[in-house]
Amino acid sequence: MIEALWVNLDYAASVVLFLIGLYAVIAKDNLIKKFMGLNIMETAIFAFIVALGVVDGGDAPIMGEGARAPFTNPIPQALILTGIVVAVSTTALALSLIIRIYKQCGTIEADELREME
Amino acid sequence: MMVSWPHWIIVAIIVPMAGAVLTPIISRRNDKAAPIWALFIMSLTSLAALFLIMRVAQQGPFSYLVGGWARPYGIELHFDEFSASIGIICLIGWLALLFSYHYVAESIPKPRIPYYYTLVLLNLTGMIGFVMTGDLFNLYVFMEILSLSAYALVAVSGERVAEMAAFKYLVMGAVSSLIILFSIGLLYAVTGSLNMADISTRLAGVENRLPVMLALAGTAMALMVKAAIFPLHIWLPDAHAIAPSPISAILSGLVVKTGVFGLLRVYQIFYGAGTYELAGLNTTLIWLGAISIVMGAFFAIFQEDIKMMLAYSTISNVGYIVMGLGLASQYGMIGATVHIFNHALIKATLFLGAGALMYKTGYRTLTDLRGVGKAMPLTSMAMSIGAISIVGIPPTAGFLCKWYIALGAFQAGQPAFGFALVFGALFIFIYYIRMVNSFYFQPPTHPEILEVGEAPVSMLFPVLLLAALCLVMGILGRIPLSFIEPAVTRMLGG
Amino acid sequence: MKKALVAALLILAAIPLLLAVSELPPHGSANNATYTHVSAYYLEHGAEEAGAENIITDVILNYRGFDTNGEVTVIFTALAAVLAVLLLGDASTAAEDKPSHSVSVVVSFIVRLLAPFIAMFGVYVIINGHVSPGGGFQGGTVLGALAIVLTLVLGEDEARRLLPERPKPWLQAAAPLTFIAIGLAGLTDTGFYLGFPTAEALSWIRTMWLLAIEIGIGVGGAAIIASIFWTMEAER
Repeated sequence: MIEALWVNLDYAASVVLFLIGLYAVIAKDNLIKKFMGLNIMETAIFAFIVALGVVDGGDAPIMGEGARAPFTNPIPQALILTGIVVAVSTTALALSLIIRIYKQCGTIEADELREME
Repeated sequence: MMVSWPHWIIVAIIVPMAGAVLTPIISRRNDKAAPIWALFIMSLTSLAALFLIMRVAQQGPFSYLVGGWARPYGIELHFDEFSASIGIICLIGWLALLFSYHYVAESIPKPRIPYYYTLVLLNLTGMIGFVMTGDLFNLYVFMEILSLSAYALVAVSGERVAEMAAFKYLVMGAVSSLIILFSIGLLYAVTGSLNMADISTRLAGVENRLPVMLALAGTAMALMVKAAIFPLHIWLPDAHAIAPSPISAILSGLVVKTGVFGLLRVYQIFYGAGTYELAGLNTTLIWLGAISIVMGAFFAIFQEDIKMMLAYSTISNVGYIVMGLGLASQYGMIGATVHIFNHALIKATLFLGAGALMYKTGYRTLTDLRGVGKAMPLTSMAMSIGAISIVGIPPTAGFLCKWYIALGAFQAGQPAFGFALVFGALFIFIYYIRMVNSFYFQPPTHPEILEVGEAPVSMLFPVLLLAALCLVMGILGRIPLSFIEPAVTRMLGG
Repeated sequence: MKKALVAALLILAAIPLLLAVSELPPHGSANNATYTHVSAYYLEHGAEEAGAENIITDVILNYRGFDTNGEVTVIFTALAAVLAVLLLGDASTAAEDKPSHSVSVVVSFIVRLLAPFIAMFGVYVIINGHVSPGGGFQGGTVLGALAIVLTLVLGEDEARRLLPERPKPWLQAAAPLTFIAIGLAGLTDTGFYLGFPTAEALSWIRTMWLLAIEIGIGVGGAAIIASIFWTMEAER
């Protein structure tokens, strides 16, 4: 298992990063830190999916003069471009909500907000 | 331009999408234009939906290849019997938009109104795409459209609690979306494809089962967050209770169901692959469904706030659906899929009715609303019909599908869960009796409540129509049941 | 206490996850299903069939164009969501005078000096996306970032002139609208939504369509990013 994990070290690293992000989402009280945790998770997944497309010695999949095989897999890269845009959109909305919460409550600490309710 | 039948699939997605994008432009000159434009767009979409449903009823499932690329190289949109839920999406969406016309003008700040309609249309676009797509990543994209607009719609009223509820919803929703993306990545890693049908065929030959099982577990868990199954439901009550009432109707009736619908798609993929053991997932779904039924109903009993009560009752009802899916027997599956449809009707009746009451009286707790039955007889009657339906008393819409789920429990050889279902119905009965009791039989807490009249037609009509549909679907309940049956048989038969 | 519990639970959760990823097909091998199934087809036929030498652009805008259509709708949703959450009832609160923050002369000078070059780079990235790394989103982000930098240096009122009131909603909606327009053009031409003309001789039309979509996405993306920033700035 350790050997297989060594080959797939990229995937293992994204799993660890994912869990670090999840830790921040659950354990941190500051809403912005919570959201940064979410961004870490997003990055982990993106890294995982992009890593799926790697081919040893692969070149960027741009045809034309001087291009030679093997090329890396274009699909994960295309998917992740979409994923990044989705992440940006979520971030924009979350930050707007945090701005509003701060304006109305004067704090963005989850425990203080809970006391206010 | 020649329009062959499958083209209605793309029409049903593109029309609301273009409509949503154009809404801010339309409403720039005249801010009254946005609701009318949105209603017009949804009418066109409903027309397309009608054609699609007629076609699938006559000839069975069909596909549309976007860009003309053959499967699995392009994106395939697939319309089967389950996709016919586009009908209920259009219906509830249309009625909620009509209901918004007066409701929203008073309850949210004026500059936000065009964007409110934009977001509602986008939300409906997302759901329509979600139920029709045959591609996993495309499913994720549409899921994000619908989730992102749902988060914003919860916060649109601008109250402090609403924004915090929206943030909680956003964090849980975003984490579950990421888990789904991770699972899609795992499935892609072992099959090399994103097309659902193609994945299903290729999964049969995969040797390393562990990543696949992890993907299955991850998707199921994430979709249960979206469906608000009991231990993962904590985002739902606040979000659904605080959102404007038409949005609550959409969220509770439709958006929560996308989680269940996703589970249905997961089942389709794995049953199609054939060689996977799903007993673990089934048992989990049955148990969590049963716990949700009981706990949702239990919490609902103690709610004073009428919308909070309805929100907890949603948890309980999604429990029924998930339990029906987990039973994996013919009757259970049919009952569950039809309950997706019927519960949407019933919950929209109740939420829109509650919205009408709040709009006219300004109160939202059962104590404050005492005696409203005399002041707003039609709305209260509609809500009573909704209450009877949700308990599942014949001849209303709730009865047949719950009966089918109970039959499914016996068919699957697990009669104990059939009793859990009846037990849950008893709880539900208690809290709806409380509601009806406070409307009709209690002396009013606020005497001035007797002076208010019925809500304007734009709000009364959707409520009454939905209540009437609850009754009609109870009498004609066999039609959707027999409509969905071939799809379930096909799925369970592999 | 709570934190330790969460950490322990997550470490526990790591075990099945790591086990599962260790069973994935070996990283980087050319015999993986990911590489031999769909992507092999794209790499072999993409350049001729889909209109761009950059296969990633082919996948984004042509083979899986419908995903990207949904994606530009997501970013439009983000704009609508931010506006729906942040806009306030009365315009007077937005107009109240904020303390004008002073910007250092050096920063201001450098930004003014670089601005045209950044703009040019953004445009270059947009219109070169089909033959080299880049494309609409990337270039649009560069332009959007330029708008943000200019806002910080020139002040809001000055920078907002970059996006005039009248065409503003059209520009914000540019990306989905271009996509839908090209999609409908494909529908009339080939009978499929987003279907690109297939004939050998028409490859230049395919490339033109790709370019049109790239420009639409670039303009729309930049307008949306700048608008989101300005909305947040006004509510700060």
